[in-house]
Amino acid sequence: MEISGTKQGIHKSRGGLIRSFVTLENGKIKDITISGDFFLFPEEAVFKILENLKGTPAKREVLLKNIEATYAKENIQSPGTAPSDFTESIMKALEA
Amino acid sequence: MEEWRFIDFGLVDIRDMMAMDEAILKGDEGNTFFFWTPKKSIILGFFQKAEVELNLPQCKDYTITRRISGGGIAFSDDRCRQINYGVVGTIDNDLFPLDIIESYKHVCGVLIDTLVHYGLNAAFRPINDVTVDNKKISGNAQTRWEGKLLQNGTLLLDFDIEEMLRISNIPREKFLDKKIASVREGLTWLDRELGEQRDMEEVKRVMKDKFEERFRVRLKTGTLSRKEKELTKSLLPKYYSPEWVYR
Repeated sequence: MEISGTKQGIHKSRGGLIRSFVTLENGKIKDITISGDFFLFPEEAVFKILENLKGTPAKREVLLKNIEATYAKENIQSPGTAPSDFTESIMKALEA
Repeated sequence: MEEWRFIDFGLVDIRDMMAMDEAILKGDEGNTFFFWTPKKSIILGFFQKAEVELNLPQCKDYTITRRISGGGIAFSDDRCRQINYGVVGTIDNDLFPLDIIESYKHVCGVLIDTLVHYGLNAAFRPINDVTVDNKKISGNAQTRWEGKLLQNGTLLLDFDIEEMLRISNIPREKFLDKKIASVREGLTWLDRELGEQRDMEEVKRVMKDKFEERFRVRLKTGTLSRKEKELTKSLLPKYYSPEWVYR
């Protein structure tokens, strides 16, 4: 994803910094990427989180449910970082 | 007493080291403790994007790669006064606990014991830092693979903060909750804390002793196995590729 010119949402969880870059189309997430110094196991599952968010309405509750579902399906552990932290970072990008 | 393998890789190119690091985790040579000192370099955490986290035009002199574990950039200036370590261990709920923070805490204990040996007020700061008087002196990163864990970390003997700030884009959100005004106040290193330079080999010896005490094992110097060397060779292209580093 090309992020130059995309607004950045920054949120710090206890486990690290989460920076989000989001583009929208008709109120839904068209593309999304994140960068940060958090920890998440298994690491590759982060791509599942991002993939599953594409096409999702850009609303806090919807995003949170979506990320929680990926956490459950992929058995994700992220010490100090919760699905709500990713949601918060994305919401900040949307509100930026 | 149980024997674990010990390797000191010395001064290394970080791309070669990250390939060996992954090969040790994914090989089957048993629990291993190892040291290395990175040449001038930047290692991105698994989830970090180079163009976001780094001021790339300022990084031209640096070797940049990415590691398989999360966490933040590991920056090494050309002073090369950093001890980096790696531990590969089988998760067993005793020496290497399943609980992520507990396992960090246990391995980081080696660094704390080392710093206490030098009379410093060292502590573990969850999730993955070791501090001296609340200033970070060691960052650590862990990943897991098939019932084993790999923890890498650094002990700063000397550190060029201004240079790190020049090459990176650290937002103020990063340190606001640490009750410090800037990164400058949040970091320290051994030379500064002791007011003198210690021989790096001496500090490594202390760390190795503390590791043996804490894990109740004897460290026996060894080398990479043939299988690990082959695995390393197959992993090298990844760590040298722009697709991996700048993805």
